[in-house]
Amino acid sequence: MSTLVALWRIPSARFALLVLAAVALLAVFGGALAPHDPLKQYTDDVLQGPSGAHLLGTDYVGRDVLSRLMEGTRLSVLGAVEAVLIGGLLGVPSGLVSAWLGPRLEWITLRISDTLVVLPFTVFAIAVAGTLGNGLQQAMIAIGILISPIFYRVTRAAALGLRKVQYVEAAELMGATEWWTLRRHIWNKVLPNVAVTAAHATGAALLVVASLAFLGLGVTPPAPTWGGMLSSDLGYLAQQPWAPIFPALLMMATVGSLNLLADAVREATGATTAPRRRTRPTPSASREEQRDVVTS
Amino acid sequence: MPLRTRKPAVKLDRRTLLGASLGAGLILALEACGGTSAGSSGGAGGTLTWAWQLPTTWDPVTSSAGSDVQMLALVYDPITALDQEGNAIPWLAESWAYDASGTKVTFTLRAGLTFSDGSPLDATAVAKSIERGRSQQGSLIAPQMKTIKKVSASGDRDVVLELSEVDYQYPLLFAGKTGMVVNPAVFEKDAASLATQPAGSGPFEVTTYVQNDHASMKKNPNFLAADEIKVSAFDLYPQADPATVVAAVQSGQYNVARLGGAQVQQAKDAGLDVQVLDSMFVYCLDVHTGMKPFDDPAVVEALKFAIDREKIKEVANFGIGDVNYQPFPPGYVGYNPDLGEVYAYDPDKARQLLADAGYTAPVPAVFTSSGIAQAAVELIQAQLKEVGIEATIDTIPQTQHTQLVYIEHSKALAYDGFAGRESPVQAFQVLFGAEGLMNPNRTTSPELEAQLKKVKETPTDDPAYPSLLQEATRIAVTTFPNVFLYLAPSIVARKGVSDLPKSPSLRRFEGVTTS
Repeated sequence: MSTLVALWRIPSARFALLVLAAVALLAVFGGALAPHDPLKQYTDDVLQGPSGAHLLGTDYVGRDVLSRLMEGTRLSVLGAVEAVLIGGLLGVPSGLVSAWLGPRLEWITLRISDTLVVLPFTVFAIAVAGTLGNGLQQAMIAIGILISPIFYRVTRAAALGLRKVQYVEAAELMGATEWWTLRRHIWNKVLPNVAVTAAHATGAALLVVASLAFLGLGVTPPAPTWGGMLSSDLGYLAQQPWAPIFPALLMMATVGSLNLLADAVREATGATTAPRRRTRPTPSASREEQRDVVTS
Repeated sequence: MPLRTRKPAVKLDRRTLLGASLGAGLILALEACGGTSAGSSGGAGGTLTWAWQLPTTWDPVTSSAGSDVQMLALVYDPITALDQEGNAIPWLAESWAYDASGTKVTFTLRAGLTFSDGSPLDATAVAKSIERGRSQQGSLIAPQMKTIKKVSASGDRDVVLELSEVDYQYPLLFAGKTGMVVNPAVFEKDAASLATQPAGSGPFEVTTYVQNDHASMKKNPNFLAADEIKVSAFDLYPQADPATVVAAVQSGQYNVARLGGAQVQQAKDAGLDVQVLDSMFVYCLDVHTGMKPFDDPAVVEALKFAIDREKIKEVANFGIGDVNYQPFPPGYVGYNPDLGEVYAYDPDKARQLLADAGYTAPVPAVFTSSGIAQAAVELIQAQLKEVGIEATIDTIPQTQHTQLVYIEHSKALAYDGFAGRESPVQAFQVLFGAEGLMNPNRTTSPELEAQLKKVKETPTDDPAYPSLLQEATRIAVTTFPNVFLYLAPSIVARKGVSDLPKSPSLRRFEGVTTS
């Protein structure tokens, strides 16, 4: 709770949280709040511009674009969240284990991680979809596996630093079990780093999900997704040159907010020593600093 | 019976500078994307750069797509050709004649024909090419030549086919891939090379071929109508992306490109010449009657009545084309006008058919799409849902369509298109034959087989021929599960290129000039 309060004090985090709350609302209730059935085809009103009946117009078979954007939020966002969860579940425990349980396991996990890092997201997802069939779950499993090395490396780096701190060594000397030490001293320190990584990774996963949908992979039509809508809109640019703006804006707002949130979480929790974007110094402080520089 | 012979016929601050730099960079990048300008040469010469399609292979014997014939005709010559009405006319063969029994046909070649490499294209070469087509393992044209008992050369110019049964379709059949003559000097040495390096006598010869990218061709001076070919080179590319096709023609990246209905107005507004060319291409659904739920004839019947073809044409193809309920276009000899609107949109009847068959819950189905005509696929899915068929769309890569639909027969319902065939009997074989690519369950009909036998045994200039063929069309359309949707003409945008000849079966380039 204290972290949330600290986050709320940061203006960019407030903005990001509000945007993400709206996106979450759409993800959960988007379909119910949509003014039209997102699959209903008004075939006499194909490729219409914004109007009172259809606030963002209609698509190539006459479906209400606003309703499809709202309904499409669920699959787009949940797909990304699912991929990040899979990545976290694979990467975080293996990162902790590699730092804690000896060199042999460390060597194996590092080699697996190195192998996964060199695989390109989209190509791997296409290969998995080609092998296991074209579906959202298959694509998300593929992305989750490729995201896992990010979690692995962040967790491992944080855990390795904590391995030699005095209070951890003291706990071990006093007879604490490895599990107790991990839970009591390590996990709380690793968690903020995982949270920052998760926020960044969700943004990246969202773009990959959109890319796959753009290529016709993952979600099958007519189910709406942001990437799928963007893809189909490009076929009708002559009729609706503005149409791709709507799904693109939603994607930009969501990914941007996730990145802002990640920065803010880092600042609020001190997850890393890297400074957040420098804030403008107060004029008086600035002048003081300048005088110091001149006189020194 | 007489011998039957056919004869011819401001302040520069940092922000301004940054903006100017970005703008200049963007302009340079767009210039680079535009590529090199095509077809800038004058009328005699110049390059035709066509964004169209690349063939599945450059070997007509193993080509697996009907539409390949368009590209193969750039480099190969068929023995005969088709006129506007679909009748056989001379091409490599200047005439042909059946014997009185109808089991022997002699094609007489023009004098002085040569392949693009300069070697003679004589009766021996043609006989060897036909023999390879009907006997090579893996040949996809062999089934069409089952009735050939023996092929031989008689002198330099006569090719004699001895048939196991009466079959008057060969002059038509030889106007397509089946009749394309491949240089025996090449296939006897390395037949596999034909997949990427064709060896024929057509108007052009391939100089560079990069698979899935482009083919560069130069004019073949040995082509039989070389004087009619006004361009010196032909570059062939896959179909351009709909989002960029008009810009690509405007910029000169291509000077001819195939358009979808959605791009027609845009192309006209951009000042491009838009030409709509009649074709034999009809969109259709391949239905596997061995897979659920189409193993129930009532579901197949309901499917035919459930689809609003007019709406699909209007929405998916912007009104371009004509609704059609049969595989042939109006005016073609096999078109049966009596069929009328045999499966006119009637959702109530479709619902009733399903109810009468005992379906009380929605009927689940899987509808396969390879990404072409996505709007049509989604419209059909919605229309099927209206009558009680819940179809889930299964999107497969376009490159897997042939394998999954035509060869493995693993899809119950697939959106497809039939490009037509030179011989109507051949068209029946592809759509309704025991080995037909577009007959997923290999369903056969004794009634149709018997009717097609009559058609084959009737000379194509016999007055009874049209009615026999049209009766075969009626049988096929009313007994087979294939669902025909609408005829789609070829739409092209041209820039600096003269009108393309109007030929419904093949795109020809004789007389086409660039400016």
